Amino acid sequence: MDIGVIVKAALDVNVLRSEADGRISIENIPLVLSEYDRNAIYEASKISESTGGKVYIYSLLTWGPMDRKMRDFENVIREALALGGEEAFVVADKSIHYSEPMFTSEVLSRLIKKFGSPKLILSGEASTDMTSSTVAPYLAAKLNYNIVTYVKEMSLKNGYIEVLRDADEKLERLKIPLPSVVSVTGEINSPKLPTLIQIRRAFRKPLHRLELSDIDLSPVFSRYEDYRVVTIKRKNILLEDESLENVADKLIDHLIQEGVLKI
Amino acid sequence: MKVLAVLDNPKYIPDIHGFLEKAGFSESTLYAVSNFDIPDGFDKVIRVDDVSSDVLVRMGDELDGFDIYIAPHTKKSLEALSYYAGYRGIPIATEIIDYIVEEKKIVRNILSGRGIVSYRVATPIALTIAPGKFKGSISRTPEVIHNDVKPTPSLISIEEKSFGGVDIENAEVVVGVGRGFRDKDDLNIAFELAKILGGEVGCSRPIAADYHWLDEDRWIGISGKKVRGKLYIAIGVSGAPQHIMAANDTRVIVAVNKDKNAPIFEYADYGVVADLYKFIPIFIDKLKRRLDV
Ligand SMILES: Cc1cc2nc3c(=O)[nH]c(=O)nc-3n(C[C@H](O)[C@H](O)[C@H](O)COP(=O)(O)OP(=O)(O)OC[C@H]3O[C@@H](n4cnc5c(N)ncnc54)[C@H](O)[C@@H]3O)c2cc1C
Repeated sequence: MDIGVIVKAALDVNVLRSEADGRISIENIPLVLSEYDRNAIYEASKISESTGGKVYIYSLLTWGPMDRKMRDFENVIREALALGGEEAFVVADKSIHYSEPMFTSEVLSRLIKKFGSPKLILSGEASTDMTSSTVAPYLAAKLNYNIVTYVKEMSLKNGYIEVLRDADEKLERLKIPLPSVVSVTGEINSPKLPTLIQIRRAFRKPLHRLELSDIDLSPVFSRYEDYRVVTIKRKNILLEDESLENVADKLIDHLIQEGVLKI
Repeated sequence: MKVLAVLDNPKYIPDIHGFLEKAGFSESTLYAVSNFDIPDGFDKVIRVDDVSSDVLVRMGDELDGFDIYIAPHTKKSLEALSYYAGYRGIPIATEIIDYIVEEKKIVRNILSGRGIVSYRVATPIALTIAPGKFKGSISRTPEVIHNDVKPTPSLISIEEKSFGGVDIENAEVVVGVGRGFRDKDDLNIAFELAKILGGEVGCSRPIAADYHWLDEDRWIGISGKKVRGKLYIAIGVSGAPQHIMAANDTRVIVAVNKDKNAPIFEYADYGVVADLYKFIPIFIDKLKRRLDV
């Protein structure tokens, strides 16, 4: 059975760039594969190994400007292919500077309907940069598929999937008929790093780059919102000494001085 | 303005009311669709069996015509409301942490807590509200109606999670443990330290979600609990933004990590570069002597 995975080239939260006035400079932050998308791809390739069928990767470049982000975007898609995807359909359109969840879902639903239409679509529980967790269910509605989110275990049965989903205070074991969109948690599996051979093979896998007009959408010309860094005001004092006894004493002295420890 | 709240747990009603009050919508027409009885706080309550995505969609016209669709940012409500927004084709903004009254802007975190964005939204809109950020109370006696739309039967079984009932969000001192600990039993030294300091033990996501060494109510991070007391001591935690940004409101942060280059030190007031297995017992010993306990 064919499976689709939606993936995001997310802003790398470990490489924050900002201006002196605290404005985040999106243009200068590199894009990386959103962390939990790895789990989704890995799960899809595990299932497809046992059932046959293809793993499709769907994505769109959500952060512009395109000329600054295209190389990172392609690397992310190649990585997704190395991790288990077999063919990718992606939209990169210079009119998109920022795509919000509603538009992202619209684009993905059109891609999925037009290319492959797999009956099972996987995604990560949240993207690392925006963490909205809303695209999977929003997309499911657009596709008229069932939805189940925060899945910690899943297995494919005949025409349905059985999942264990996190429902905050409890866990629910559910039987969800296909077609369905499923978002998976970071704990569902432990993805392996791609091997060199997988990485090399990824460059030969088909990657179809499309524009909005290819999926019958008009240019969007969105703009960035006002993104600001959260200030971190810390003293950053490293306590170093040959003797850990002395370090412990120094730390206790500091904590007393700070008024957080009372002797 | 007409507001529809989607609720699957009574404990979040003050959060929803709090947001509406702050955003100036407390005089609006307020409806709720919920799977429990609500005696107060709404003009109309539509009781259903479950507030799942399929139930909302099947309710049809009954849910049409609202300006704001609002729910707490919990896993099930988020799923149901997002699906409904997709079905109706209206925009959605999730995990709202604040509302700027003068500018009429909603606020949410981005970049795993390292950034913040505020913006205006147009109605109709769907919103999910981060728990614990707003608190309010609106009093109305609702008309209650029942809608017996059935959810697609999908439940096989329910498994309860175990919770020890600790409240690290309101603890003054939290000792946080990460994957630097090699074994569940080794966490004892963290519990001993927390006890001496009169605090609670918290943990990184893998300790709760992967290893299940501790209950999830101790999980600190953007997908767990926020800590905001006077002292947070992170031990064997690398300092991923998804973890440490949830401690950013703590007054003093201490980090113990054997890797000098661990990101946690950038987020700490005091850093100790040491093997936790060597340092923590010494630290405990010194504390005991100096605190005379
Ligand atoms: C969308 C999303 C949401 C997430 N939400 C959360 C969240 O809510 N909370 C959360 O915690 N994480 C969250 N994460 C995961 C996060 O990115 C990190 O993977 C996680 O926080 C790492 O946990 P850790 O620091 O315990 O482990 P590691 O990153 O493995 O760090 C272990 C540290 O221990 C140190 N160490 C090892 N041995 C010793 C020793 N003997 N003495 C001293 N130090 C030692 C190492 O140097 C290392 O720095 C999320 C990730 C994503 C993508």
